Amino acid sequence: MSTVHLDRLQAQTAPTRDRPRVLLAPITITPTKPLTLSHLKGLLWTDVMYRATAQLADVTYRYSHTTYNVTEQTLGFWEHLDRTLGDVDYSGWTEEQIGECYIRYRADEHRPPPSAFQPYADAVEQHGWTHPATSRVLELWTSLYDRLGLHDPGLREHQPPGLGLAEMIDRLDGLGMCLDLREHGGPVYLDATRFGLPLRQIVLPGGRPNYLACALRELIPLAAEHDEVVLIYDRELEPDYLLLQRVLSALGPAVRRVSLGRVPVAGQVLSARHGGWQGNTVGDLLDRLTGGDTDDPAALRLGLRLYFIAVLGQGQSQSFRDDLVVSCLAKARKLLATTPERPDASVSKHRRDHVYVDPYRLTSALLARHQPKPGPELISAVFT
Amino acid sequence: MSLSQELLRAEATRRILLSRPDLAARIDPSTTRGLLAAQHLVDADEPGEVLAAVVMRRFDPVSWVRGTCEFALGLTPEQAATWRRSFTRTVFLAGNPENLRERFSFDHVAEDGSAAWTSPAPAAASAPLRRLLKLFDGTQAVPTHPAPVVEVPGRPTRAPVRRDLYLATAGVTVAESLVSLNHLLVESVMDGLLAPGDRLVLRPVPRPAGIATPFAALRIGAERANPDQLRCFAYLTEGIDHDQA
Repeated sequence: MSTVHLDRLQAQTAPTRDRPRVLLAPITITPTKPLTLSHLKGLLWTDVMYRATAQLADVTYRYSHTTYNVTEQTLGFWEHLDRTLGDVDYSGWTEEQIGECYIRYRADEHRPPPSAFQPYADAVEQHGWTHPATSRVLELWTSLYDRLGLHDPGLREHQPPGLGLAEMIDRLDGLGMCLDLREHGGPVYLDATRFGLPLRQIVLPGGRPNYLACALRELIPLAAEHDEVVLIYDRELEPDYLLLQRVLSALGPAVRRVSLGRVPVAGQVLSARHGGWQGNTVGDLLDRLTGGDTDDPAALRLGLRLYFIAVLGQGQSQSFRDDLVVSCLAKARKLLATTPERPDASVSKHRRDHVYVDPYRLTSALLARHQPKPGPELISAVFT
Repeated sequence: MSLSQELLRAEATRRILLSRPDLAARIDPSTTRGLLAAQHLVDADEPGEVLAAVVMRRFDPVSWVRGTCEFALGLTPEQAATWRRSFTRTVFLAGNPENLRERFSFDHVAEDGSAAWTSPAPAAASAPLRRLLKLFDGTQAVPTHPAPVVEVPGRPTRAPVRRDLYLATAGVTVAESLVSLNHLLVESVMDGLLAPGDRLVLRPVPRPAGIATPFAALRIGAERANPDQLRCFAYLTEGIDHDQA
C-alpha cells in the first residue's frame, strides 16, 4: 500500500489500530562535536513534526546512535582519541573540548590500518559499546534536549538496527538493487540505475559500511511496518536520500523526503568538522537567551521554534540573527499569555497529500494575523 | 618456452605496428619506455578514436570469455578495423545489465546476463553509461581454480582447435586481468586465431613463464615495480592436438 486516505486520519478518537503508522527518520548528528545552530534547526523541525503528527497517527521517532557508531567517521575518531590521548577522564569535558579533538582528528594525516578500527566496531556491534568521549557528548546533549523541551528519542539507549550487514545486502539483492563485488575484493553498491540514479558505494572495499549502509540496515525492516516514512536530512545529502526513497518505497510505504538547509552564520555555512562553531553552539545561544531572572522555559521553547521553523523556513537563504530570535521570544511570551476565544485544535489541515504535519505550515500559522490560533493544550503538546 | 625481454619487446612492437602502422616512424622499439609511449600517442578523445564499454555484474570467467569472443565475432570488419586502430580500447564498468536494458541498448549480452557490451564508438557515445556506473574494480586476483574450459560460441567455419590460455595472477588484480584478457581475446578473434568451436582452457598461473607449448599471441605490459621491464600478462598457446590433450 502506498496511499493512506486522509478521511481515515480525521478520526482522532478512533482506536489506535486504525491510526496510520508513520516512521520519522531524521539523519542523526554524529556525537563527536558540539550541537550547532544548523543541528538545532533540524532537531526543532523534527520535534514539532513528531509531536504534531502524534496527534493523529502512531508515530515512531527513530533516532539511534548505535546504528551509526560503526561508520568510519565515528570509529576513526574514537581510535584517534585513544591513540593520541590514552586513558582520560572525559566526565568533566565540555562539548567544545571534545569538538576541538574532532577537528584535530579530521586534520590528522595518519591513516591507521582498518584492523585498528576492528575492536571498536566489534564492541559496537556486539554490545552497543560507546566511547566515553561520545557518552559525555550525549550526556551534555540530553541536558540540552531537556532545556529545549525536545522529546528524547533514546540518545543514550542501545538501539541496534534490525538487520546485520549481510542480511541487509541480501534484502537489497532481493529487490534487484544490489551490486556486490566483494568476491573480487571490490565494494558493494546500491544499484538504482533502473531509475536513472547513479551507482552508490555502500560498503567500501575491505568491508567497512558507510552511513548509507547503516541507514539501510535500520530502515529496511522498519519501513515495511509503517504506512508512511518521512526522511529528514541535510540538503547536500539529497542524492543519497533519493536512493533511500527508492529502496524503501519498494517495500510498501509512501516515502516522503524533507530536506533542510543549514543555518548560515554571517553568510557562511560551516561544517562542524572544520570548527567554526566557536561562540555559536546551541549552548552558547541558550546562555545568551537565558541570562537574568526572567527565564520562562515555555517562552524560550516556543520562541526558538517560531524562529528556527517559521522565520528561517526550510531553505538556508537567511543568516542567523540574534535580534530576530529575541523578538520571537517576545512573540512567544505574548502567545502564551493570551487564550484565544475559539481555539483551533486541529493540526490536520497543515498537510498536503501526506500524513505527517508540516512543521512550517503549523508554526507559521501562529504568526499569521487573521487566523484562528491553537489553544494552550495544543501549544503545550507540540511547542513547549 | 622462455620469455626474454627481447622477445617481449619484439612481440609488443609487432602488435603496435599491426594496429597502427602509421606510428612506425614515431616509436622507439629499442626501449620499453619508447614502446609504451606509443600507446599514449593515441588519445581516446581524438577524432576517429573509439572505445567499447563492457558492463559487468560480476566476473564469471567462462561466461565472460565466451561473451567476449562472441561479441568480437559479431563486429563488422569495419568496426573491428576501427577498434584495432584504437588498440581495442575498452572500459569495464560495474553494473547490472538487467537494470540498464530499458535505458541503454547493448550490442551483446552474456547468456547468463552477467555482462553486456556496447560496440566500439567515440567516447561520447558511452558517456551517459559511464556517468551512471563506476569502473569495475576489485583488488583480488582472478580465482586460480579450477581450470575452466570455454568453447567459443557459433557454428565452426574451420576445424576447431584447442588452446591453453595462461593468465598471470601474481600482483595482478581482477580488473587488470580483464584488460589483458580482453585485448588478447578480441585481437585473437580478429586475427583468426580464435574461431567458433575452438576450445580454450583458462589457466591462471602466477606468471606464464616456461610453458612448453609455443605461444600464438601474448598480452604484454610493463612491470609495475620496474617500468623499464616488460611482462607477459596473458599467453595464448598454439593449437594443441586433441589426442595429446
